[in-house]
Amino acid sequence: MSDENELKNGNISEETESCSCTLNDTEGDDPSLGINAQKELKANKLSDNIKIMTPGKLILKRFFRSKLSIAGLIGLAFLFLFCFLGPAFSPYGEIEKVGATRVVETIFSYTVTDPGTGEEITMYEIREAIVTNKTPPTWQNWLGTDIYGYDVLTRLMYGGRISLILSFIVVFAEMGIGIFLGSLAGFFGKWVDQLIMRLVDIFNCIPTLPILLIAASLLDSWQIAPEVRIYYLMGILTIFGWPGTARLVRGQILSLREQEFMVAAEATGLTAKRKIFKHLVPNVMPQLIVSATLGLGGIILYESTLSYLNLGVPFPYAAWGSMIGLASPSSGSGREILQSFPNLWVPAGILIVMAVLSFNFVGDGLRDAFDPKAKR
Amino acid sequence: MLRYILKRIGLSVLILFGASVIIYSLVRMMPTDYVEMKFSAQLAMGNITEADLARMKSLYGLDGTIIEGYFRWISNAVRGEFGLSFIYQKPVADVIVEKMQISFLISLIATILQFVIAIPLGVVSATKQYGAVDYTVTVFAMMGISLPSFFFAALLMKVFSVELNWLPLQGLIDATRIIEINSPEYHMDRFMHLILPMTVLVVLSIGGLMRYTRTNMLEVLNSDYIRTARAKGCSERTVIYKHAFRNTLIPLTTMMAGILPGLFSGAMITETVFALPGIGQAAYKATVQGDIPFIMAYNLFGSFLAIVGVLLSDLMYAVVDPRVKLGK
Repeated sequence: MSDENELKNGNISEETESCSCTLNDTEGDDPSLGINAQKELKANKLSDNIKIMTPGKLILKRFFRSKLSIAGLIGLAFLFLFCFLGPAFSPYGEIEKVGATRVVETIFSYTVTDPGTGEEITMYEIREAIVTNKTPPTWQNWLGTDIYGYDVLTRLMYGGRISLILSFIVVFAEMGIGIFLGSLAGFFGKWVDQLIMRLVDIFNCIPTLPILLIAASLLDSWQIAPEVRIYYLMGILTIFGWPGTARLVRGQILSLREQEFMVAAEATGLTAKRKIFKHLVPNVMPQLIVSATLGLGGIILYESTLSYLNLGVPFPYAAWGSMIGLASPSSGSGREILQSFPNLWVPAGILIVMAVLSFNFVGDGLRDAFDPKAKR
Repeated sequence: MLRYILKRIGLSVLILFGASVIIYSLVRMMPTDYVEMKFSAQLAMGNITEADLARMKSLYGLDGTIIEGYFRWISNAVRGEFGLSFIYQKPVADVIVEKMQISFLISLIATILQFVIAIPLGVVSATKQYGAVDYTVTVFAMMGISLPSFFFAALLMKVFSVELNWLPLQGLIDATRIIEINSPEYHMDRFMHLILPMTVLVVLSIGGLMRYTRTNMLEVLNSDYIRTARAKGCSERTVIYKHAFRNTLIPLTTMMAGILPGLFSGAMITETVFALPGIGQAAYKATVQGDIPFIMAYNLFGSFLAIVGVLLSDLMYAVVDPRVKLGK
C-alpha cells in the first residue's frame, strides 16, 4: 500500500513538471522527479523498485493504452503501404489502358408486317458489343476498370498518394504561417495583435467551402496545366486554412507569456526571436501536433470534395473524390454507375473514410496522451 | 455590456468589409465570366460582335477594373441593392429569400434531431467512460465526422433508392405524378424526398456535437462539487442529471447560439447531390456559372451569419454563466 502511495507521489510531481517540458525530453538522470518525492523515495529505499518514466514515455504509454489510437496507427500504416508501395506491385500504370473487355448485350426490337397475312410480328434481336471500359472485377483487375479503361485498384493507390502528400504539405504550410503570425500576435500584442487577429477574423467568417469552390474554379478559367494545378490547389487550401492555427498559437502564447519561465527569459535578456521560437513555440507543440493530425483528415475531406465536384485534382490524375464523382446521380451516366458499377466508387469512399478516421483516431489519442490532467 | 456589444458590432462591420473585398476580387479574377460564357457561341457564329459583348458587359457591370467594380458594387450593397442575379434575372435578395426557406426547413429539422440524439449519447458515454457503450458511441461518432457527405449520400441512394426502391432518388417533388398542392399526399411526398438528405446532415453533424457533450460532461464530472454531491449521499441519478448535466448545458447553449444563424446558409454539397432546390445548390450553380451578384450576396450573407453566430455565442455565454462578465 505505502509503495503504491510513493509511486503516485513521484508520478504526480513528475507530471506537473511535464507541463512545461517539451516532447523530446530524454534526460538520463532524473531531475523530473520532485524533490519531495525523491526524499521520500530515498527514505523508503524504493529507488530500485521504481521505474522512472520520462514525460515522453508517459505520453507514449497513455497513447498506446487507447485501442482506438492503435487502430488509427494500423489504418495509417496500411494506407501508406497501399499508396506508396502498392504501385510497385501493380502491373498497370496510373494512366494506362488495361485492355480488359466485357460484352454488352443490347436488345433491339422492331415490328414487321407479314406481307401475306398482314399480321404484325415483333422481332427481338440481341446484339453483342465488346467494350473496353467499366469491366467487372477479374483476377487481372481486382476492382475492374473504370470508364476510361484504367485499372481501378491502381488508380486508388495513385489517388491516395496525391491525397496524402497534398494533405501533409498543406498542413505543414498552414502550421508554418499559423505559428509565425500567431506567435507575433500573441507576443507583441497591441496593434500587431489587432491587425493579425482581424485578418484571422476575416478569413474565419468567410464560408470555407464556397470560397474554395470560387478559388478552384479560378484555376479552371486560367486553364492551369494538370501537372501544376495540384500545387495551386495546395496554395488555396493553405491560404484558407492557416487562421485556425494562428488563433491556437496566439491563445497559448498569451497565457504562456505570463509564466515564470518567461520572466526568467526576460531577465536573461534574450532577443524576441529567441524567446518566441526557443521558449514559447516549443511549449505550444503538443497542441499543435494534435491540431495538425486532426487537420490532415480535414484537408483530405476538402480535397476530395473539390475533386468530387471536378474542381480538385484534374484528369488524367486519379483522385478518390473524382472517382466518387463519377457516380453523381445528376447525370445519366453517373446514375448508371451508381446503380450498376459499385466497384468504381465504393472502394474510393471506403479509403477516404479510412484515412480521415485514422487521422482522427491518432489525433484524439495524442490529445488524451498530451493532456496533463488525464488519468494515467 | 451595451458598449461591448456596440464595439463588437462595429468590428463586425469592418470584418465584413474585409471579407467582401477578398470575395469580390477572387470572383472578378475569373476571366471567363457569365457574359462571355453565355454569348461565346453566338460570338463564334458571328451573330454578335465584340462591341455587343462589351456593351453586355457594361450592362452587367463587368466592365472596368476590379477596384472600380468593387466600389460600384459596395456602394449599391450598403444601400441594400445587391443587383439582379444573372441566372434568375431577379433581384438577388428575392432569390436568396425564396431559396432559403427550403434550406432552413431541412437544417432546422436536422439540427433538432442532431441535438436530441447527440446530447443523451454524449452524456451516457461520459458517465460510462472507457466502457463498451463509450467505445461504440465514440467509434460511430468519429465515423460520422470522417464520412464525406457526397459518399454517404451516394451510399444511401444506392441502398434505399436503387436497390430497395423505398425512397426517391433526387429532388423535392415527384415529377411523374400530379399532386395537388398542400394535400396530405403532397406533404407526404416532400417528406419522403427529405428523408435521405436529412439523414446525411444528421449523421454527419451528430459526431461533433456528441464528442463536445462528452468532453464537457467529463470535465464537469471531474470537478470538486460533483465529489461533494456524491459525498453528501446524492443518488448517482441526481449527481449526473441535476448537478453535472446542468453545468454541461452552459457550453452546449453557447454552441447552439453559435450554430443557429448557420441554419440559413444551406448545405452546399448535400443539396447539390440530392438536387434539392435550396440556397446551397443555387450557390453552387452560381459559382460554376459565374453569377457574380449572386455569389457576392451569398458569400457575404454566409460571412454575416458566421459573425452573428460568434457574437451570439459570446453573448449567450454571459447570459447563461453568471461568472462571465463581458467587456474589456
